[in-house]
Amino acid sequence: MPDRMQTLTPGELSLLHDSTMDILSNTGVAFNENEALEIFRKKGHRVEGKKVFFREAHIREALATCPSRFRVKARDPEKSVFIGGDDFVLLPGYGAPFVTTPDGGRRQAAMADYDDFCKLVQTSPYLDMNGFMMVEPHDVPPRTAHLHMLLSSILLCDKPFMGSPVSREGAAQGVDMLRILFGDRATEEAYTVSLCNSLSPLQFSSEMAGSIMELARAGQACCVASLIMAGSSGPVTLAGVLALQNAEILAGICLAQAVRPGAPVIYGSTSSAMDMRTGGLSIGAPELSQNISATARMADFYRLPSRSGGGLTDSLTPDGQAGAESALALSTAVRSGINFVLHTAGTLGSYISMSFEKFMLDEELAGMIKKMVKPLEITPESIDLEMIRQVGIGGQYLTQPKTFKLCRTEFFNPRLMSRDNFDSWNSAGRPTARIRAEQEKERRLAEYEPPETGGALKRDLEKYVAKFKG
Amino acid sequence: MAVQDIYQAVIEFKDAEVPILVQTELDAGTDIQSILNDGLIGAMDEVGKKFSEGVLFVPEMLMAAQAMKAGLAVIRPLLSDSDAKPAGTIVVGTVKGDLHDIGKNLVAMMLEGAGFNVIDLGVDVDADKFVKAAQENKAELAGLSALLTTTMPAMEQTVAAFKEQGLGIKVMIGGAPVTKAFADQIGASGYSEDAPSAVTLARRLMEG
Repeated sequence: MPDRMQTLTPGELSLLHDSTMDILSNTGVAFNENEALEIFRKKGHRVEGKKVFFREAHIREALATCPSRFRVKARDPEKSVFIGGDDFVLLPGYGAPFVTTPDGGRRQAAMADYDDFCKLVQTSPYLDMNGFMMVEPHDVPPRTAHLHMLLSSILLCDKPFMGSPVSREGAAQGVDMLRILFGDRATEEAYTVSLCNSLSPLQFSSEMAGSIMELARAGQACCVASLIMAGSSGPVTLAGVLALQNAEILAGICLAQAVRPGAPVIYGSTSSAMDMRTGGLSIGAPELSQNISATARMADFYRLPSRSGGGLTDSLTPDGQAGAESALALSTAVRSGINFVLHTAGTLGSYISMSFEKFMLDEELAGMIKKMVKPLEITPESIDLEMIRQVGIGGQYLTQPKTFKLCRTEFFNPRLMSRDNFDSWNSAGRPTARIRAEQEKERRLAEYEPPETGGALKRDLEKYVAKFKG
Repeated sequence: MAVQDIYQAVIEFKDAEVPILVQTELDAGTDIQSILNDGLIGAMDEVGKKFSEGVLFVPEMLMAAQAMKAGLAVIRPLLSDSDAKPAGTIVVGTVKGDLHDIGKNLVAMMLEGAGFNVIDLGVDVDADKFVKAAQENKAELAGLSALLTTTMPAMEQTVAAFKEQGLGIKVMIGGAPVTKAFADQIGASGYSEDAPSAVTLARRLMEG
């Protein structure tokens, strides 16, 4: 199948793998977490100080127990999702300290913003999972912020959601909340996916290593991900980045499999180029999409589900640049076979902020891309030679019963993308996409209804969170 | 109210049901004008409105028009001369040099749905043919369509031909590249941006 982006040959994939093995066995990976070091030592790894070294056999053993596809159960079983193989999920943005306001300015994100994003995910026709830390709220104590966010994620949305890998303790508290929700079943299979990032180059912080152990032990999925800035926290060439991030991701996956063989993991990367003029990270760069495509191939090489970014941009406002960059990255992710597309909607300014209008526009983009990758149905019925014969030369298909029958379902129906003619657009006051998005967001929030949560369950969860206050 | 059922059936695109409902009403002795105006034409007005708002899609509007025409066919033989008076007679066509007819067909169907007597001249229609057809059919209105900017001058020539002929036939124009400013510039009587507003325009022009 010709796809001009997927250039990696089997020989190149092997070279990347072999280079990674060299890094893992000779340079090693540092884990700033004593229990992790102990676990690796027991598994027969060479451990020097905080440095852990891996032999190919270690990697193969870990890969052998990783599921290539797994389910994440939702409170509403209808909304459970599969990650891996042909199945992919789209999620909102993550980790933004600011909210971009409709006038182009920005303000510190608040808990109310987090709640609004939960509501938009709940009512989204295209986002499959709720995120975590879609914004970092400034108006709740940092010590308990993750608990407030988890509580909102659970009470305002019944899609599967992301866990809190903020610290080992935070991860464990998330598992406690799962136990309140689902009882003993909570640790039998995955109800959450958590984002566990390496600290490039070649390290895992104590928080992240601790979270991986805590979450994997509880059967919760870990997305082990690397974000290398090519040229600063990693090599300037993408080839070097691919080998380096591969070492980090595989090392993290080894830890998860060591604590619980079979624990669901995702091979993640959102590495991209450093902007050479400023030293800042660029996630609107074409190199981001190149890395997305290659990451999908590497994950597939190991038969692992993959994660990348989606609607990413460096633009600070939902403008043409934001639309173009987001569309390129998101469509690359979905078309390349990425299974867990974080940051599908809302992100602006290299992760610095979330915008409600951008969220709505990205969401529509997600709908368009989901339509694009839906396989064409080629059958005698869908070709319908009889109709083509009947209409013949120079006729029309507008009044064919089939056209009438399929006119609402055959094509993607945009909510925000304008197809107006000039006069009606002009007389409506020339609304831009951003303005239509703002109106649609208001409508969605006004019509939002929370999912059913049993009174006792809600009380128990709230009681649990309240315990840590003050 | 059973005329309401006819109205509803047209709005719900039930082309097989509409003639049956119309016949039932006729058998019950319901006033033909009420069936026509409150049922069939009233429904098409609503359909046009919903289309302009983006609620209804093109194939649905056409299906409603088809349902309406099926109902109309039942009562047409029963209409007396005065009853049968159409909302107006209009010749429509795509102008000389232009073979695009989807927009023109939509307008024609909506005008029929609104009770106009529509003479569709097809595509690539020159000024002479427009004028002659309008005279022969005693048309009050003419509707000119163009998709290509290159054929817009043909609109101007056709409008001029109608003026020259001096029978006071009002000419309305439309099509993707056409604007209100262009309509004013070439001396057309009106311009509309979509099929339902072409009906509104035609009604307004009929009122003088």
